[in-house]
Amino acid sequence: MENSSLPAALELKELHGVAAAFESPDKLLKAAKAVRKSGFTKVEAYTPFPIHGIDDVLGIPHSHLGRIVICCGALGATAALTLIAWTGSGDPLLFPYWTGLGAYPLVIGGKPLFSFEPSIPITFELTVLLSAFGAVFGMFALNGLPQLYHPIFNFRHADRITDDQFVLVIEKADPKFDATECTRLLQELDPVTVEMVEE
Amino acid sequence: MIEYATIEHTRESWRLDEAVWTRVRNVIAFLMLLGWAGCAAGFFQDSERFFRSYLVGFLDVTLIALGCLFFVMVMYLTGSAWSVTVRRIFETIMVTIPLAAVLVLPILGGIHHLYEWSHSEHVAHDKILLGKAGWLNPEAFVIRAFVYVLIWSVMAIRIYTNSTAQDKTKSVKHMDSTSAWSAPGLLLVFLSVSTAAFDWIMSLNPHWYSTIFGIYVYAGGGLACIATVTVICLWLRRHGILAQSIHLEHYHDLGKWMFALTVFWAYIAFSQYMLIWYANLAEETVFYTKRLVGSWKFVSGLLLFGHFIVPFFFLIQRRVKRNLGALLAAALWILVICYIDLYWMVMPNFDKEGVRPHWLDAVAWLAVASTYAFAFWWQLKKHSLVPEGDARLEQSLAHVNI
Repeated sequence: MENSSLPAALELKELHGVAAAFESPDKLLKAAKAVRKSGFTKVEAYTPFPIHGIDDVLGIPHSHLGRIVICCGALGATAALTLIAWTGSGDPLLFPYWTGLGAYPLVIGGKPLFSFEPSIPITFELTVLLSAFGAVFGMFALNGLPQLYHPIFNFRHADRITDDQFVLVIEKADPKFDATECTRLLQELDPVTVEMVEE
Repeated sequence: MIEYATIEHTRESWRLDEAVWTRVRNVIAFLMLLGWAGCAAGFFQDSERFFRSYLVGFLDVTLIALGCLFFVMVMYLTGSAWSVTVRRIFETIMVTIPLAAVLVLPILGGIHHLYEWSHSEHVAHDKILLGKAGWLNPEAFVIRAFVYVLIWSVMAIRIYTNSTAQDKTKSVKHMDSTSAWSAPGLLLVFLSVSTAAFDWIMSLNPHWYSTIFGIYVYAGGGLACIATVTVICLWLRRHGILAQSIHLEHYHDLGKWMFALTVFWAYIAFSQYMLIWYANLAEETVFYTKRLVGSWKFVSGLLLFGHFIVPFFFLIQRRVKRNLGALLAAALWILVICYIDLYWMVMPNFDKEGVRPHWLDAVAWLAVASTYAFAFWWQLKKHSLVPEGDARLEQSLAHVNI
């Protein structure tokens, strides 16, 4: 084990948290459980691949993405129907399609100015389009992406997070955070290494 | 945190308990007796009606078995891991399909009661039917029916024996063999189900045609198949069978499939409807005008709401898919509405004024369903309830939806 006492230079800089690297997902899960049990809430894990059960252990709630998507989908459906009603028929609020006073009232193939049948594909497409936008951009927003800088890259073994190491960080933002206390706790959990990480 | 099962701590038995099995077998045998006795009585009372009711019942249950055949092939082709613990249920329903060779006989026997194109004196005066006589004639119809069942049976038995052989040998070569069969098999099965739908349902109104019709029918079959598997698994679970191996995460995925196929069915149904509506040709619109007459228009509306809108907004919710009671309700409803869908395809050709329910509808369905169920139950006992030798079993047991 290295770095159990703080180098002087680090103390002057802003601290992000204490990071510990583990050699297997099992050890990471066990450590995360122990850390959460000690009452820490601002805990983050960095792993080469998704680990089943880590969300439960870290207390990460179920994503709100679904709600964002359904709102976007509903917006798409409304937009499409409004567009069709306005171009084809007339005032979308009053819906007087029988007056034929829309923006572009055109009779096509002897069909009525407004009917549901040809409107469904347009409604469907716009619903799907805006749902997809909601899913992709909502995911970006919830994950805080794009992110050009993240303190975890100050961790000396950061490159191995995409390879073979499983890293757990107790962040400084945690109300119970105390650098020496956290280092001691993590060192008891059979890590490969424990380090302070700068902001 | 939930602890997930692995082979080491799944101590539950993958064999059916003898006492439970016998009790259920007796119930099914009794229902079978009841169903066929009812069919016999109905045949002598009103043979016309018997053939119609029987056709709907036969199609409903046969399509469930065909849906299972489709899904098992897709599971092998995609290498899906989530479905491994549920797959033996799919496979056992699938392998009942050779029974269709016998169960189709009443339809072949009742051909002159059901299909107007089977009367040569009628065809002789009809230019359109004369043009179609190369395909729509009694001999070809009978031969095709057996060819369809042969294709389905060969595929189903091949896949099933591969899977059960793997239980013992644990060798992946069986899996590879099934995958190799499934790729051309999927194409063959899709085409044959499509033409079977043309033969058995679309030709009830031989002037009308729709090329998408086969997919429409099969979409309903796939949906009913997932609903059936869900109901069977939940029933087994209530009796403490497979309660650990098929857990919440698998039910969540079955729910997703029900949702996806509900949307797919609606997509196909609407595609067919809109193109016909837009072209507005009398020989095409006749299909829908027949179904907007009298009380049939309420059935058409019921399909719109009951087969799409209500299940869509119900099943889209995560908490519904993860609530076994709600999932059971959805699956049972889907089974009912899929039957109504087939009823709506067949019966307006005969009951032109409106819906005319008949006791034979229920009895004929019961006869066919209980016969398939008997074969299913008989086969289920012969092998493990879970494909023990599958390379992805451990992965399936530990499956989690993130």
